[in-house]
Amino acid sequence: MTLFKQIAILLSLFLLIILGTVLTLNFKSANESISQRLYEDAKNTTSSLSLSLGGANGDISMMTTMINANFDSGNYLLISLVDVDDAILYERVLESSYANVPAWFLELITLEAPIASANVSAGWNQVGILHVQSDLSYAYTELYSILKNLLISFSILVIIALGFLNLLLAAVLKPLKEVQKQAEAVIRNEFIIQKHIPSTKEFQDVVLGMNTMVSKVKVMFDIGNKELQQLKELEYIDPATKLKNRKYLIDKFPEYLKIDAVSKDGINMMLALSGITKANEQIGHEEVDALFVNLAKIFTDSVQVYNEAIVARMNGTEFAIFIPNCGEEEAKEIAKNIKSASQNVIEAHKLDIKCTFISIGIFEYNYRQNISKLLSLSDNALTQAKFCNSHIHYERAQNATEVMGKNAWRTIITEALGKDALSFVPYKVVNAGAKKVAHYALSLTLSSGEKRSSYGQFMAPANQLGLSNKVYQNVLNMLFKKTDPKLKNTTCSLRLSYEYLQETQSYHELSLLLKQYGMKLPLRLIIEMPDKFVRKNTKDIQEYKALFEKYKVDMGIYEFIGESQNYQYLQELLPLYIKAEANYFLTQNTQSLSALKLVTDSVGIILIASSVMDKETLEKLEEIDIHTIQGKVSEEITFND
Amino acid sequence: MLFFLVLVLQLQGSEPYVDDALLSKIEGKYQLYAKNRFLYLQKTLDELQNASDLQKLNAVNDFFNNVRYATDAKVYNTSDYWATPWEFLGKDMGDCEDYVISKYFALIYLGIDPKKLFFSYVKSIKFNTAHMVLTYFETPRSEPLVLDNYNLKIFPASQRNDLIPIYNFNGESLYKASANGNGKKVDNDKTHKKWDELKLNMKRQKI
Repeated sequence: MTLFKQIAILLSLFLLIILGTVLTLNFKSANESISQRLYEDAKNTTSSLSLSLGGANGDISMMTTMINANFDSGNYLLISLVDVDDAILYERVLESSYANVPAWFLELITLEAPIASANVSAGWNQVGILHVQSDLSYAYTELYSILKNLLISFSILVIIALGFLNLLLAAVLKPLKEVQKQAEAVIRNEFIIQKHIPSTKEFQDVVLGMNTMVSKVKVMFDIGNKELQQLKELEYIDPATKLKNRKYLIDKFPEYLKIDAVSKDGINMMLALSGITKANEQIGHEEVDALFVNLAKIFTDSVQVYNEAIVARMNGTEFAIFIPNCGEEEAKEIAKNIKSASQNVIEAHKLDIKCTFISIGIFEYNYRQNISKLLSLSDNALTQAKFCNSHIHYERAQNATEVMGKNAWRTIITEALGKDALSFVPYKVVNAGAKKVAHYALSLTLSSGEKRSSYGQFMAPANQLGLSNKVYQNVLNMLFKKTDPKLKNTTCSLRLSYEYLQETQSYHELSLLLKQYGMKLPLRLIIEMPDKFVRKNTKDIQEYKALFEKYKVDMGIYEFIGESQNYQYLQELLPLYIKAEANYFLTQNTQSLSALKLVTDSVGIILIASSVMDKETLEKLEEIDIHTIQGKVSEEITFND
Repeated sequence: MLFFLVLVLQLQGSEPYVDDALLSKIEGKYQLYAKNRFLYLQKTLDELQNASDLQKLNAVNDFFNNVRYATDAKVYNTSDYWATPWEFLGKDMGDCEDYVISKYFALIYLGIDPKKLFFSYVKSIKFNTAHMVLTYFETPRSEPLVLDNYNLKIFPASQRNDLIPIYNFNGESLYKASANGNGKKVDNDKTHKKWDELKLNMKRQKI
C-alpha cells in the first residue's frame, strides 16, 4: 500500500472519529435538550393547570373539562389528578403512535419524559396533586428528524473534509510522487534526473541521493557504450581501407544463411591481389597501402546499387564482396568491371599489371550452406581464378533437389493459411545457471492433410513465394484470438521478421490486435525484433515500444551482432533481452564482451545465446558468464522444479 | 432529595439547628447580635422538643414574628427573593416568604411532618396585596391553621376572612409524587422554581 493511501486512511479515520464524536455529542445534547424540554413543558402545564383547577372549587366535572381541554390541545402522554389519598380523580392517557419513527431508532434511543407535578387546592383545602407527562412520540419524531438532518449535514461535511484532505495530502506528498516516479524509472532501468528538488528536507535528501545514483549508472552506461563503440570499430573495421573485416562478415553470415532468410541466394566474391611483395619493393609500403585504399573504393563503388552488399577485407591481400540477391550474369559483369578498374588503378600506381593483378573467385551461394562451407567454396573459386587466364572464375553451389515445386508449396501454404493450419511449437529458452525456463520461444508447424512441415521446411518457400507476411499475420491472429490453451500462464516470445516489420500495415495490424485482445492475453508475451530493424527504424521502433508498454508486452532483440555506432538505443528501448548467436559471444574478445555487459547490465538487459547445440558450447558460454541459452542443449537441461 | 432527607434528619435529631461552624460564619457576617438570636432560637427549639404540634407551631410562629418586616427590594435589592433561615434571622428582617420558610424549617427541625406544612399563596384583603402564609394541615382533609406574619396569632383558615387562598404548595409532597409517578425520576428533582432555588441555597448554607 502506498504511503499516500496509508496516511489518507489514517487521517480519514481520525477525521471520521472526530466528526463521529461531534455527531454523537450533538445528538446526545439534542436528546438531553428534548428530554429537558419535555419536562419543562409538562411543568409549565402543571403550574398553569393546577391554578386553573383551583378555581373550580373542587368541582370534579369542571376540573375534568379543564384537564380534557388541556390534554386535547397539547402533546401529552398523561394528565392525571389524584386526591390527597393518592386515589385517581381523573386521568387521560394517550396511546402513543410511533409511525413516523423506525423501530430500530426506538430501540436505540431511550428518551425520558419525566412527570411534572403540582398541588391542586380549592380555597384553603387540598384537592390533590396534578401529574402531567409530555408525549414521547412527538419527541421521538423530532429527535429522529434531528438525527437525519445531522447525518446529512455531517455526510456533506465528511465529503468536503475528505476532498480537502485528499487535495492537501496530494499537495504535501507531491514531492514524494516525483520521488516515486524516479524510483519506478530506476526499476525500469530508465535514467531520470529529478530537476525539481523538493524543499522538504527528507524528500530533498532522497531526491539528491537518487539523482546521484542515477547519474552514476548513466555514466557507467555511457562509458560502456563509448568503449563498445571504440572496440567495435577495432573489431569490425579494417583500419587501412576502412572496409569491414573478416570477423564482421562472418558475424553477418547467419542473417543470410538461415531457413527464413529473405534472400535465398547471392554471390560471395573473393578477390586476391597478387604480386604485393614485389609491389612493396617497387613503390614502397605507403604507396601499396594507397593502392589498397583505391581498390577498396572500386569494390565499394561497384556494388553500391546493392543495399545488402558487404565489402570486407579478409586479410592483407584478400577481399570479399558479399552480394545477396545477385545473379550469375550480374556477378560476372561486376567482376569484369572491378578487374578493369583495378588494372587502371594498378597501372596508375606505376605497377606492371602482369605482376600485380587481381583474381576474382565468384561463388554463388544459397541459404542452406553453413559459413565454413561458404568460405571454403569461395576460397576454392578464388584458387581457380588465380590459375585461369581471365583471373575470374565462377563457381555455383550444388542445389539440393527440391522435394516439392514452388507451385505445390504455394497451394499448401495458401490452403493452410485459409484453414488456420498453423500451430505453435514452444522451445525452451533456459537459464542454465538457475536451471529455470526463462521463456518459451514460439516456432511453428504447418499441417497439410497428414503431412506436417516444420518452420524450416515451409518458411523458405513462403519467403520465396512472398507469402511470409501473410504467415505472420496468420500467426499473430492465432496467438491473440485463439491462444493455444497449453501456453496459458507462460512467458512466450514470438519473433517477427525484418520484412514483416518493415510493412506499414504490420504496425496497424499489431496495434489493432493488442487493442482488442492485448489486456486479455492469458500469457506474458515478448515480441522479438531483429537488431537491424531496431537500429534502422528509430521512429517506427519508438511507436512499437509505446504500443508494447501500453499493453504490457515485452520487447526482445534478436540477430544482435553489435554493429551499431551507438548503443544509446538499447537504453531508450530497454528490451528485456538481446539474443545473439552463441558463436558471436564466443568470438568476442574480453574487452568487447566486458563493455557489452557493462552496457546491458547497467540497464538490466539479459544476454541470450542462441544456436547452442552442444554442452561444450554451453560450458564455454558459462565461462564468459552467459547463462541464458536457446538451442538443442536447452531442451536437454534437467530442471530443479 | 438526598440533601433534603439529610437536612430533615439533621433538623430532627440531636444535631443543633445551626451548627458551630455556621454559627461562626453568621457571627462573622452579622456580628454578635445575630449569633445571639440564633442561640436564642436554639434554646427555644430545644425547649420544644417534647411539646405538642400546636405548642411547637405557636412558639415558632411567635419567635419568627418578632423579626422585622422588610421588602425584598429593601433587604436584597430585588423584587422577589426567598431567603434561607440563616439570612432571615441573620439580617433580622425579611418579607412574608422569608417568615414562612424560617417557620417551615424550624418546625421540621422540631419533628413536624413536612407533608402537613404548605406554602400558601394568598391575597391579603386588608393590605390588598399578594401574600404568603404557612398552613398546617393536621390531616390532608382537615381545616388548616394559618401561621401569618401580619396577624401574629395562629387561627384556623375559616377565621382568616382577611385572606383569600389562591394556591397551596408543598415541595416535598410534589417531589414524592413525581418520584412515585409513572414517569422517570427527575434527576435534578425540580418541582418548583423558587423552592428549587431555596433548596440549593440551603445546601450551600447561604447566609
